[in-house]
Parts: sequence; C-alpha cells; structure tokens
Amino acid sequence: MAATLSFPRPVFAKLSPHPYLLRNLSPADPVANPPARTNGRRPRESRPVHVNASSLSHAHGSALVRSGDTTVICGVRGEILPVSQIPLFRPRENHYGPAAAAAAAAGDGPDGLGLGLGLGRGELKDYDLLVPNIELATGAAPQFLPGVPPTALAQTLSTRVYSLLHGTGMVEGGDLRVWFRPSSAAAAAAGVGGEDVDMGEEGVEEEEEQQVVAYWVLYIDLLFVSFDGNPFDAAWAAVVAALRDTKLPVARWDPDREMVVCSRTETRRLNVRGLPVACSAAVFVEKEHGEAGAGENRHWLLLDPDRLEESLCREVVTMVVDCSEGETRVKSIEKQGGTVLGRELIRGFASVAEERWNEVKKAMK
Amino acid sequence: MTAATTTPEAAVGVLPRADGSAKYSHAGYTVTASVNGPIEAQRRDEHAYEAHVDVTVRPAAGVGATRERHLESILQSSLSQIILVKNFPRSVIQIVLQIEDSPENDYVNTKLVQASLNFAIMPALIQTAVLALLSAAVPMRATATATAVATVRQGGATKTIVDPSPREVETAQSVHVFAFTSHDELLLAESEGDFTVKEWDDSYETAKAICCRPEPTKEGIAMVLDDETTAGPDMRHFLRLAMETKVASDLYWK
Repeated sequence: MAATLSFPRPVFAKLSPHPYLLRNLSPADPVANPPARTNGRRPRESRPVHVNASSLSHAHGSALVRSGDTTVICGVRGEILPVSQIPLFRPRENHYGPAAAAAAAAGDGPDGLGLGLGLGRGELKDYDLLVPNIELATGAAPQFLPGVPPTALAQTLSTRVYSLLHGTGMVEGGDLRVWFRPSSAAAAAAGVGGEDVDMGEEGVEEEEEQQVVAYWVLYIDLLFVSFDGNPFDAAWAAVVAALRDTKLPVARWDPDREMVVCSRTETRRLNVRGLPVACSAAVFVEKEHGEAGAGENRHWLLLDPDRLEESLCREVVTMVVDCSEGETRVKSIEKQGGTVLGRELIRGFASVAEERWNEVKKAMK
Repeated sequence: MTAATTTPEAAVGVLPRADGSAKYSHAGYTVTASVNGPIEAQRRDEHAYEAHVDVTVRPAAGVGATRERHLESILQSSLSQIILVKNFPRSVIQIVLQIEDSPENDYVNTKLVQASLNFAIMPALIQTAVLALLSAAVPMRATATATAVATVRQGGATKTIVDPSPREVETAQSVHVFAFTSHDELLLAESEGDFTVKEWDDSYETAKAICCRPEPTKEGIAMVLDDETTAGPDMRHFLRLAMETKVASDLYWK
C-alpha cells in the first residue's frame, strides 16, 4: 500500500493551525458543510455558561463558573479594617447625612456630579476596599509553568477586573461601612428615667457621635482551574456571581472592648447593583503573514474564542453591558490589536453582547 | 487655564545614545520615550517571522505594577500593528516610556500604587511612542494619533471634555480613549463608565475630529472655516509639524 500524503485532521491542526481554521471557516462547498470553527461552533456562537454559587464553605461568597473548558472559581472573603489602621483617614461627615444619601440616590452628587461617583467610590478607591487577585493555576493550560512570577496575562486580567469593579459601581462604599451608633444605647439608658445627671450628659454628647469605625475589605480571589481561552468573560462572570452570593456577618462596635464584634448567626446580604456581563470576540483575518490592513483581507468575528483561536487572532474586542434596567447600558469597551473593527462593527457588536447578557442572566438564576 | 486649552509640545531626538527618542507633554503629562531596534532578540522573545515589539512603561514614582503591565500590553498590541514587524524577523524593537510628570488629583489620597486604569495617560504614551519610532526611523505602515474624551453630566445636560484632568476623569460619567491610524482606521478604543452606544458614537466623532482632521489643501478660506467649526488640538497636524521641525533643524547643519 502506497503511503498517502494527506494528513488526518489533528495533524493538520497541529502543523498549520491558521490554514486549518481558515479551511473550516470557508469550506469549498458551503451548502454541504456550513462554515464552522474547529471546535464545531458557528462564528457567532458562544459556549454555554454554567454558574454554581456558594461552592466554597469558608468564604463569605463564592461561585464557580464554567464556560466550555474554561473553569474559574472565585471566592470573596471579608475582613475588618478599623479606621485607626487607615493612614490618612478622612471622615467626610457631610457625605454621610441623609441629604447626601438622597442626592446620591437621585443621581446628583453634592457637586452636581453624575451618579455620585465621588462619594462611595472615593472610599472604595482611597482605602482599597476591593482587592481582586487572579491566579492562573499550573496545569490549567500548557503555557502556564510552575514556580514563575505572575504572568503578564494574570496581571492584565486583575487590573481589568479591578478597574471594572470600580467603574461599574456594583459595590458601594456605604455597604462596607461598620457604624458605631451610640444613639440607640443612649436612648435605652434615657428610657429608664430618673437616672443621674452624668448619664444624661453622656447621652447628649454621644448622639452626635454616630461614626464609621471600620470598613469591610473584600478580598476577591480568582483561580483558573482550567483555561481554554476567553479568560476575562469567565473571570468577570465569576466575580459578579460571587459578589451576588456574598453574605457578610452583621458587625458592630463594642465600646467597652474597643473592638469590632461580628454576629455569629446574623448575616446581611451584600447589596450589588446591576448585572454587568462581559462579552468578548476575536477577529480572525484571512492572510496570516500578509500586510495588516492591506485590502481584500476577509475576516471573521469569532465570539467567545478558545485557546487555539486566541493564538491565531490579534485583534480582540470586549464589551461589558448591563441590561438589568431595561435600557442597554454599556459599562466598558476594550478594542485593541488591529484595525478591522471600525465604528460600525463595534456598534453592531452591542446587540451580540445583549444576547450574551440574556444567556448569562439565565445561568445566574 | 483648563487642560483642554494647552497645546501639545514635543521634542524629537532628545536622548543621544538611543536609536530614537522623543519627549512629549500635553494636558499635564510629560513622557520621554526611547526606541532601540531592530536589535537581536533573546531566545524567549524570538519570533521566526516577525519582530517582537517590547514595550516598557515606567511610572513617575515607584516601580511598575499591574497597571503598567496592562498599559504595556495595550501599547504592544497596538504598536505592533503599525510597525512593519514582518520586515525584521527574529529581532526586537524595544520601546521604553518613562512618565516624568502627571497631573495630581487633590481630592484623593496620593498613593504610590494605584491599581485602577489610567485612561488619561494612554494618549500621551501612544503619541510619545509614535514620535520616538519616527525618530528611530523604524519602518511603519502608518502613524497613529490618540486622544482621551470624557463625558460629564452637569445638571441635565451632558458635556464632552477633551483631555480630561484626573479629577474630571474621577467624576465623569464615562471616559473614552481612541487611537486612529493615519489611514483613519480605528486602532484602539478603550471606554469605561456608564454610557449608551449612541454616547459612545458621539465621543468617537469628537475624538476623530481631533485625531483625523484632514490636511487643509490650501491656505485661505477653507482653513479659517476649519478652525471655527472644530475645537481642540489637531493631533495629526501636530505630529507632522514636530517631525518637520526636527528634519528642518537637522538639515541646517552649517
């Protein structure tokens, strides 16, 4: 039997991945076998998302998100940060009053600024109350080696998650404050009546002293158990799911012991605003070694790319949308690495992101 | 004086030992860049078919952290699109960007390590890198211009601010960074905040007017009209002017 010169599919994919993907996307006979990616998906088809909340028992909130072979687990752990330990702590009394809260709710800060960006988010940023960290586990993908410092990918991802956490305003600084409210204790003391004068004076004095004594710091740790492309979408979905799952113990200031004490039984669900969902796509261009930008270069927009596709695509776009208030609000657009995606394609991508939002919303229920 | 009214300034070829260098300052940011290349690549950076573009961003104070890594990855992917990397296989084009000065925000505590994205500095980094690449005579497919635009809601109306200050970025509804090539293609788009696609589109228009203003064909009425209709600096013209000045001074050697 003469040796054949044709390769089986896996060998072809390994030897020259770019022509292999190109052949799959532009088949000779599009009627018989419609264009598909090497993973069998259509170009605009994403992998289904599975979300499993509260999977870690020792975290205050956690979620495991799986999208195809990309699996990421996120744990949220709250820790108390007393204000005495914050350098340069600046109590902003005028911002705590009910008037300021009403103004912030009306979307109009004290300086006439939109969405109260300066208020709660100032605290979050100033005192670093949200600390995300991303680890790409050894063995999650072949390119992650053991015993090396965090790769550029891990650092970039955690910066993006951090920036988006603040940009979307999902968590408000107000929810992370631990208050000392002496008024209730004083009122109880005054209610007994006929007490000595000292007690009364103390009550009056303390009533003004309702103050923030500590903050909750949320440590948001993400671990990629398995990595098969599109890390940001999965990581962000895990962060959102874990924050929605977070229940912090009720904390109060004990003036006698001068420390914050947490309740063993009572918990309070963290108030998370909105449901931003990230949607990424990569642009696959026909000519691998041709001049970028030279005309007559066909391209495909591959939604939710896997690892092979990511290695073959330069240009990527990520859009974060939130449709939970009816209208589609865009929270972030990141497009880099090429010139194929212009204004029209990015505008059109918004509807793709809306579809993705609906998918992820269903998965989060 | 607001940041938007300042004009950009640039000096090309400021460092004597580097292949190419540039110093650029605009909207309170001052960045110096050096470019070396194409030089021999280390084994791990070597690519069989194209040059590796190595970008290093150094902050004004402290050492680079995760935020600088992110800026580097954005710049690396954008600049390798405009440099003709296929002409130099197995080599490295090294770009080092040193931030010298950045405007301060008096409303927040100054911390050395700020993990959030710094949108306002991205245009300055891109412009400086492009000037330094031109100075090093690295072959490029196109040049690039970039700008930052912020949308601020005041009362009921929304206002667009070009080259926002750090305080304006903090209080803005949304912040956008756009970079265009000299062929009017969108090279980079980074946006954050809370906005609709329509608002993004408007910011795109504003940025494009700054980055891609067509060259006036002849002196006279057309130019005057241009100045009246569009606001903000003309980045492409500025880039050309900076290089023209440099070439003119180099030719005048006697």
